[in-house]
Amino acid sequence: MITFLKQYFTDIYEAIVSLLKGMKLTGYYFTHHKEIITQEYPENRATLNLPERFRGEVVMPHDENNEHACTGCSACELACPNGTIKILNKFEVNAEGKKKKAIDTFVYHLELCTMCNLCIVACPTDAIKMAQTFEHSVFDRSLLTKKLNQPNSKLREGIE
Amino acid sequence: MDFKDIFFYLIAIYILGTGIMAVSTRKIFRASIWLLFSLIGIAAFYFWLNLEFLAAVQVAVYVGGIVVLIIFSIFLTQKTGNQMAKTGTQQTIFAALASLLGFALTAYLVYQHHFGSNQTQELDASIENIGTQMLNPGDGGFLLPFEAVSMLLLSALIGCIVIAMKIKKEETA
Amino acid sequence: MISLENISASIHQLLSANLSQTAVILIEMSIIALLAITLFALLGLILVFMERKVSAWIQIRLGPNRVGPKGIFQTTADTIKLALKEGFVPDGADKFLYKLAPFVVMIIAMMLLAPIAFAKNFAMWDLNIGVFFITAISSVSVIGILMAGWASNNQYSLLGAMRSGAQIISYEISAGMAILTIIVLTGSLQISEIVNSQSNGWWLFKGHIPAVIAFVIYIIAVTAETNRAPFDMAEAESELTGGFHTEYSGMRFALFFLAEYINIFIVCAVGATLFLGGWMPFHIGAWEGFNHIMDFIPSSVWFLGKTFFLIFVIMWFRWTFPRLRIDQLLNLEWKYLLPISLFNLLFMTLIAIKGWHF
Repeated sequence: MITFLKQYFTDIYEAIVSLLKGMKLTGYYFTHHKEIITQEYPENRATLNLPERFRGEVVMPHDENNEHACTGCSACELACPNGTIKILNKFEVNAEGKKKKAIDTFVYHLELCTMCNLCIVACPTDAIKMAQTFEHSVFDRSLLTKKLNQPNSKLREGIE
Repeated sequence: MDFKDIFFYLIAIYILGTGIMAVSTRKIFRASIWLLFSLIGIAAFYFWLNLEFLAAVQVAVYVGGIVVLIIFSIFLTQKTGNQMAKTGTQQTIFAALASLLGFALTAYLVYQHHFGSNQTQELDASIENIGTQMLNPGDGGFLLPFEAVSMLLLSALIGCIVIAMKIKKEETA
Repeated sequence: MISLENISASIHQLLSANLSQTAVILIEMSIIALLAITLFALLGLILVFMERKVSAWIQIRLGPNRVGPKGIFQTTADTIKLALKEGFVPDGADKFLYKLAPFVVMIIAMMLLAPIAFAKNFAMWDLNIGVFFITAISSVSVIGILMAGWASNNQYSLLGAMRSGAQIISYEISAGMAILTIIVLTGSLQISEIVNSQSNGWWLFKGHIPAVIAFVIYIIAVTAETNRAPFDMAEAESELTGGFHTEYSGMRFALFFLAEYINIFIVCAVGATLFLGGWMPFHIGAWEGFNHIMDFIPSSVWFLGKTFFLIFVIMWFRWTFPRLRIDQLLNLEWKYLLPISLFNLLFMTLIAIKGWHF
């Protein structure tokens, strides 16, 4: 009987303490408006504050010499769960007269992409990355099929 | 006929109308709702008599308690959407006879009774007076019936617990 | 000094100088009805907006901010939208009861408003049994919900209505016990006398620990009685899609929605009257200057301030705590709240008899 009563009142005490703990947290949020994370998007386009891990679309960075790091190994194409990436390869003859594989077109279907990040993880040479652009609306679906490598771009030296 | 009389007849018509609807409808859930309205009418009648406490008790016990219990038992037992079977001729005749007899008896009693024309003594229906009368053991007090009713309720409660209680069977190895 | 009491008295004088008694009563009743409906509409708009802002701030969001400055016309826009929507009656529903149910819920909410004292000497009907009247009438509101649930001809609605019925009936007991605990101290059920008995301090402070326990129990019980989270099993969107008002749309749904908020207002007003002194200003012992400043604030402001504080507390509950399961809910009532409030009532009676309270 004593143990039952003790248990009974401990239960009540613990319940009240844990409820008050919850109310303290929500009360803190209620009174501290600087914690608000909502962004009033169209108005604050200039000062938009996107989180670091936000994923908008896949891009392929090019340096000032119009060179990229993609070797055309198709690891990303294999990693993609829904066939967003299609790599068309070509063979280039380099200065020494040897044939070498290079990409012709890196096709990226933005309309199929779920931003799962698997291609970026799979890339051995860090040739592609996620950009933070997100205003993707267009009037024609075909505009969403993108070619990621720029015209006349080359593979950067020293990347195999 | 002044304002108060008009209200009396309005309430009376309301009570009778909803009462007739309650017994004549063939959907059981609707019958309980009409009964509820009829009981609310009786509470309104108590308000008309300035017996606020009685009116509130009428609402709390009959409307909020008993009709809710009736509705719950209807929900749990009946196919509530269906219309009930029509009553037979024999049953209708006997029901009409019984209600006529009851009405005749009441009317007879009312006409026999000589109502005093000057009811000078004001009825003190305030909650304080009711409370003191209820717990008064002396003359004009109602302590004994009050306690007897509470014993009745207690035994009903204990009965409920006994029915609902799970008796643990002795564990046999 | 302009006060609600003076305004109502001068209107009464003006009318009775020119008209017969019956006409005065009729005109005053229609004025009161008009005011009550206006109050309902305003309360609906304000409380829904308040709920949305409170929930947003608690969840680190901004809340409505597009319609009007800071979004204050959002609820008006919502009301217009609901008014323009088609009032749909499902096939196989009991049409009469289906259409009647929202009005039953609404009328009961309106009746509860009668004995509440909004300011000093300003109540519609300060009747002898004030608080008991409120408890009795509010027990009827479950009928409206049961009616709506059954008439919709929908399993979700029926289940929600049954849950709501069980919940309201069981939590009414501990709410009543908590009210009784204060009635023991005041010795009267009349709202004006309850408020007057707190002229030298609120019962929450004067009544020692039992008053505080009763206050907590009252708040928990009325949260359950108004079917609000964490006790909103009757609506439980995730299990019952919407409970008893699943099939309702348009203005009929709006009436249910409005009645919920009106009920919150009323239970908070009763809580403020019983525990926080109604329209009585806040006084501290012998601080004459402080007390004088407090007296300067109008009594209606005190009443509304206390009521809205309690409403805020209930909203705070809703957006903090997760929903209970139905068996947990009934456990809480029958194994915890009811025994505690019974012992609490006994203890308070002892205090009242011995005169230990202030």
